[in-house]
Amino acid sequence: MDIIVCVKQVVAGDRVKIDPGTYSLVRSAEFSYINPFDLFALEMAVQLKKEHSGSITAVTMGPKISEEVLWEALALGADRAVLLSDPRFSASDTLATSYVLGMGIRKIGKFDLILCGMRTTDGDTGQVGPQLAEELDLPHISAVEKLDGEKDSFRVDRVSDGFREMIEVSPPVLLTIASKTVVRLPSLNDIQDAFTRCSIEYWNLEDLNADPNKVGRPGSGTWVEGLTPTAQKKSCVFIEGDARQQARMLLSKLLEKNLLS
Amino acid sequence: MARQFAKTELAPIAKEIDEEGRFPWEAVEKMGPLNLFGIQAPRPFGGAETDSISYCLVIEEISRVCASMGLMLAVHNGVVVHPISQFGNDAQKAKFLSPLVTGEKIGAFCLTEPNAGSDAMAIESTALSDGDSYVVNANKIFVTNGGVADILIIFTSVEPGNVKKGFSAILVERGTPGFEVGLLENNCGMRANPVSSIILNDCRLPKTNLLGREGEGFKVAMAALDNGRIGIAAQAVGIAQGALDVSLKYAKERIQFRVPLAQHQAIQLMLADMGTMVEAARLLTLNAAHVKDRGGDLSGPSAMAKLFAGRTASKVASMGVQIHGGYGYSKDYPIERYFRDARATEIYEGTNEIQQIVIARELLKRGED
Repeated sequence: MDIIVCVKQVVAGDRVKIDPGTYSLVRSAEFSYINPFDLFALEMAVQLKKEHSGSITAVTMGPKISEEVLWEALALGADRAVLLSDPRFSASDTLATSYVLGMGIRKIGKFDLILCGMRTTDGDTGQVGPQLAEELDLPHISAVEKLDGEKDSFRVDRVSDGFREMIEVSPPVLLTIASKTVVRLPSLNDIQDAFTRCSIEYWNLEDLNADPNKVGRPGSGTWVEGLTPTAQKKSCVFIEGDARQQARMLLSKLLEKNLLS
Repeated sequence: MARQFAKTELAPIAKEIDEEGRFPWEAVEKMGPLNLFGIQAPRPFGGAETDSISYCLVIEEISRVCASMGLMLAVHNGVVVHPISQFGNDAQKAKFLSPLVTGEKIGAFCLTEPNAGSDAMAIESTALSDGDSYVVNANKIFVTNGGVADILIIFTSVEPGNVKKGFSAILVERGTPGFEVGLLENNCGMRANPVSSIILNDCRLPKTNLLGREGEGFKVAMAALDNGRIGIAAQAVGIAQGALDVSLKYAKERIQFRVPLAQHQAIQLMLADMGTMVEAARLLTLNAAHVKDRGGDLSGPSAMAKLFAGRTASKVASMGVQIHGGYGYSKDYPIERYFRDARATEIYEGTNEIQQIVIARELLKRGED
């Protein structure tokens, strides 16, 4: 079974910096890591490969520092890693991103399954997976927690609004993964192997034979007009008096805020 | 990986195992599959065979959270697995290296005795030849990992009365008749590491356990220690970084004069010095690792790294206590643990003064140009 896993480098929550000109995230290798949902997708791919053999290709779009997440994917069990990188890809919204990923996957060619994280912990749109499926004219199932089956047919469990849906599907198909699988840490041998046996393939706009009007800002259906922080304000109230008075005061405060029903 | 492992497996227990003086088997068992017991060991024996820079980064990240476990790994990898890889013959590697590298067995290095430490040649332990065996009598103290070690390198003399000629390294397995683990040390820091004495009482060891040749023990010990110092330097960098981490956190949280401590210039000056020292110690350590990987002469660079990193750990942890004020002196905050742990890095694997002797000797050896 040949599996493509789309991964993304996300910025640590407390390190998010926004470029004031473009409103896009400023990335730095030091405070970035692989999107946790993509790790679930990758882990699912590794388990599937164990059962059915085949190959795992990790793909990401981003600047050169995004290769960090591809090295991590290689250490965790991917066989091949492709970085779709071109200055013209920057400022892509989810639509343009899906187009670039789609062109990359067309160039990779053969696959049975595309796995994406259900959403990212920075952009948090959850759109790229479904849009990529549309771009490639594939069926897709989102929020998948479990996947069983044979090579030609899968049974997929997805969660939705308090229900668990069981769906039968045949490859090729795109799944976005929500499962909270325990993700293994790569061993030192895995990391060494990734660096000694593997390499990263870099593909730019020309390599993908992509339409420059469909990438970056020109290819985006949406753009960010403005951005204001909505930091939560914390305030600390000291409750005074003896224990009984403090308890009474605490109770009335909690009731006032509807925190006790 | 090491950072993640330290965060998820060691951070939640670091305080508790220090207080209880408990060796955390539950976390240690998870280190083997990650190759933490054979970081630089050869691949055929299950090691990861990484370069020394990677080795330092692993030890630093573990020590940043739990110095006791950083010490356990630095000693196991640096002065047990490494010299067996370097000086062991094929049979010894097959027998001793494989279980050490998987973490099935833990290693220890036994040099210090009641009357010999910095002065290694003053050892009084003996190994008398008897047919195919040595009969070893030794009283080794301050053995890191002593309480849990299964495979130990014992430094002894095969020529009683002439240590210079007879100084030799012999491998001993826990459980050999005559082998005894003495009392655990009640140390002020690194309390989750079972440092103990090791006593060998007419312990009969096959001559095939001799590591290197007879009389080569000093060479084995010095090579191991030159290498081990890089690991201890990395451990000290980790402790210093950990002390800086918790001090930064505290300085942002603690309000005095209506603003966080971090907004007071006096605290900023301390933080700036701490950060600069940590970075300098890290670069000296990685430089020594780089020299080792290039095959250069390690003695000077590793002694410099160990001296500076040990001093940095103590100084940074002490400044961290100062930033914490009264709470820094309390067991409720982790900085006191870093403060206690740091101090040992100026003492073991060669005291500061021994490092200075090594550094001066190396400097004076050089030509004038």
